[in-house]
Amino acid sequence: MKNRLFILTIVLVFLPLVAAGQPATDDLVSSCVLASGENTTYLKDFRVQLPKAAQDAAFPVYKANMYLMKNMKYRFSVCDAPGSGGELFITLFDQGKEIISSYNSSSGKKFSSVDFICNKTGLYTLWYSFVGGEQGSGVGVVCMIR
Amino acid sequence: MTGTITKIAAVILLMSFCSCRNSNVRQGGLTFPVADSVPAGEAEKLSEEAVADIVQNIASPVEIASILQSMQVPFSAGYLAPTQGADRLTTNFQKAVMLGIYGADLGYLNIYGKTGNSVDVLSVIKRLADGLRVGQYFDFETLKRLSVSKSDLDSLLFLSVNSYNQIDRYLRDNDRGSISALMITGVWIEGQYLATQVALSHNDEILRDRIGEQKIILGDLLMLLRPYRGSSEDYGSLYGMMEQISTKYFDVKVSYRLGEPETREEAGRLVVVQHEESIVEMTDAQLAEIATLSKEVRNKLISGN
Repeated sequence: MKNRLFILTIVLVFLPLVAAGQPATDDLVSSCVLASGENTTYLKDFRVQLPKAAQDAAFPVYKANMYLMKNMKYRFSVCDAPGSGGELFITLFDQGKEIISSYNSSSGKKFSSVDFICNKTGLYTLWYSFVGGEQGSGVGVVCMIR
Repeated sequence: MTGTITKIAAVILLMSFCSCRNSNVRQGGLTFPVADSVPAGEAEKLSEEAVADIVQNIASPVEIASILQSMQVPFSAGYLAPTQGADRLTTNFQKAVMLGIYGADLGYLNIYGKTGNSVDVLSVIKRLADGLRVGQYFDFETLKRLSVSKSDLDSLLFLSVNSYNQIDRYLRDNDRGSISALMITGVWIEGQYLATQVALSHNDEILRDRIGEQKIILGDLLMLLRPYRGSSEDYGSLYGMMEQISTKYFDVKVSYRLGEPETREEAGRLVVVQHEESIVEMTDAQLAEIATLSKEVRNKLISGN
């Protein structure tokens, strides 16, 4: 009984400490920031996980609103998680109007990052989705280009 | 013996679940040993989606500093909030606001490569984050090592900004939006203080535009704070002060010139140049009033009165 109590105490005391010692940043975000290239400064990341689109339904989308500022250059990068079923892409909207997308559905061309030279401060909407409405997980990273 | 092992395994599993830091599962049943000033039930709660809509990039700890650096404005330690006295902060309200203020200062130091000076700020941030029980997102040892070695500024910038993003995400995911709102306000007011103080001595159009554009952002910041304004004297006072700054923006004009975006491909990368433009009209007198009030509010928050 004493042994069991001792083991339980050890677990209760030390497990949260072990958990707290885990790295604070996940590897996919770090590698995606690295892939964004030199002369960039990380601003935000969005972790995206979406199910496969249902038949005859709109593709699932992860949406986020973000303030972008005039006179700043932004780089939007996307990275797929290992084992992700689909390829992640981003589309940027300004008040419902599409500004840029890293995937061209007519040509099938996909970019891993897109640059946006902003001249209008405001709230923009970022749509993250997977090509063909596939199930997938990945990370979108927003950096400022210095 | 098998039963004992099973029980221990069950306890480990349970503890792992409870201490899982990156879980998106809400911990509504848990209570924090140091209670936040605003119990979730008391605040007029915004929907999760509405809060998420508002908060992304309202205030970045590095963007203002980056503009100042590109203007070749020399670094000045005089703009930094004093780190002495941070031990005296007792309430979560004070800790959260100051965590934001020091976060903006850390961004300023790091952008200018003044990493040797940032160790003091890092120590204070770590203490405040621990006090708010979000210290696990702040990899103090790595940040300190990178600061001292001055070897990898990009990693330092990434880790420090990412820590703030993770803290913010965790707070919002765990019904502590009131603390997140205070932290964001702290980052905003320090960035505003820095920008306005520099603008008074350096006439730069980009910086003036950035200050004027805060009219747009301030509205959302007020919306973020509004649900908590009646919950305590501190929140009420902060909301009142931010509202006063907002009134100073009343006659600042932001207009828009239409234009179609231009897309091109450069070195295998898609580039879009926006030709629609926001235009800020702000007089020197308006700027001076905004700068004075922003400084007053920032200093009041730092003094804790």
